[in-house]
Amino acid sequence: MEKKEYLVESLKLPKDICMGAIKVSLTGNQEAWIENYRGILEYTECQILLQGKTCQVCFEGSRLSIDYYTNEDMKISGCITCVKYL
Amino acid sequence: MIAFFKYLKGYLRIRVSGFSPERFMNLCSNKGILLWDIVREGDIYYMCIHLTGFRLLRPIVKKTGTRVAILERYGLPFFWPRLLARKVFVAGLILAVAFWLWSSLYVWDIEVEGNYQITQDMFFTFLEQNQVTIGIHRKELDIEELEKQIRRAFPQVTWASARLEGTRLLISIKENDAPIITDVPQSKAGEDLLSKYSGRVVSILVRSGVPKVAVGDEVEAGAVLVEGKVPIYAEDGTVREYHLVEADADIVLEHVRHFTARLPFDYVKKEYTGRVKQQHYLRTGKKEWKLPADGPFLVYDTLIRESRPMLFEKLSIPIYWGDITYREYQDVEYRYSAKEAGLQLQEKCKIFLESLEEKGVQIIEKNVKIDVDGTSYLLTGEFLVQEPIGTGKGSGQ
Repeated sequence: MEKKEYLVESLKLPKDICMGAIKVSLTGNQEAWIENYRGILEYTECQILLQGKTCQVCFEGSRLSIDYYTNEDMKISGCITCVKYL
Repeated sequence: MIAFFKYLKGYLRIRVSGFSPERFMNLCSNKGILLWDIVREGDIYYMCIHLTGFRLLRPIVKKTGTRVAILERYGLPFFWPRLLARKVFVAGLILAVAFWLWSSLYVWDIEVEGNYQITQDMFFTFLEQNQVTIGIHRKELDIEELEKQIRRAFPQVTWASARLEGTRLLISIKENDAPIITDVPQSKAGEDLLSKYSGRVVSILVRSGVPKVAVGDEVEAGAVLVEGKVPIYAEDGTVREYHLVEADADIVLEHVRHFTARLPFDYVKKEYTGRVKQQHYLRTGKKEWKLPADGPFLVYDTLIRESRPMLFEKLSIPIYWGDITYREYQDVEYRYSAKEAGLQLQEKCKIFLESLEEKGVQIIEKNVKIDVDGTSYLLTGEFLVQEPIGTGKGSGQ
């Protein structure tokens, strides 16, 4: 375990803030709230690829759309079939 | 609520196409420009953006090489200039609101409920006398004082409540159901019971006083039936003093009542010619405006139909409209046939007999005949009746 990760773990600090990890909240397979991302790499009806600080997250499904998109957070809705970390 | 603020700030539906729309979106989010409802259709992206955000798009568009086109404009910033272009409409709107606010300061309708003995006319006359009329300013209306005055002016009102509901003044009153007891001055002098008619006594039941007639006696009109002077005898049989009472008795007298009714041979009947003229009018309070119309006929009667539109009724605005129909007619003289006259007179006689029966008079014998008298038919009737009788009159002293 890296030093930073160890420190965050031991001090019980939120990892999304301290480590820059992407935070994904899913409601069923219809909605997803994403925070702590850098930007969109690709957006099609069946795939949305997001760039995080440490990794990329790919949402796959059908009829995918972005309900809103800000610097802080975004909401994806549609039929999500798969969430992949690349 | 969010939608309302979006509408207030104004937003656009835009179409983004070009080399890298994803980069366009990332740059937007980095600049703090909110994008929503982002949908991709083929190579084209559709999204919504605030008006303020849209004004910051130029450098981003240049940088990303995308093309942005406006599809729809929503919100107040777009609606307002269009509204301002219609100056008369805006002026009308402002005037309407101002008029509405101004008119809500006045009482436009007065409603009275719960009045049975006091007629609507009586009540409105009373309100007029107290300066409570349609069009009074709400501030000038002292509700408590009005309630007091109602109770003061109408003794039969046991409870009165007035309240303002919008521009409507609602007055609810409760009248005393029980009869008002007025103090009948007790006669200390005593009263005799006199006969109203001449006839024969059929039955007599005395409650107070001394009876002066017996069953079967013939009495004249004005004769004392029951005396209100009750003698109190001394031990030696002489009258010591008189106790004066109000004579009270149930006496049935059999006598003859006469009835005559006359019906002239000729009578006049209105016959409408079928020609009518109508005039429309508008009324507010006591003022009336009539639409110009031809003068009415030489001989006519009028039929007025007035109504208040439902909207004005709900808003309590005293605007009424209606029409006056002038109907031309001619007075045509007719002559009653003997049969018609008989029926008419018999009807009159029937009404008379019914009125007698209502008074508790029993009819024993009837003798009715119809004759011709000069220029009219004459019905004469003699009825032998048994009638409850007795009227307190005169002094017992």
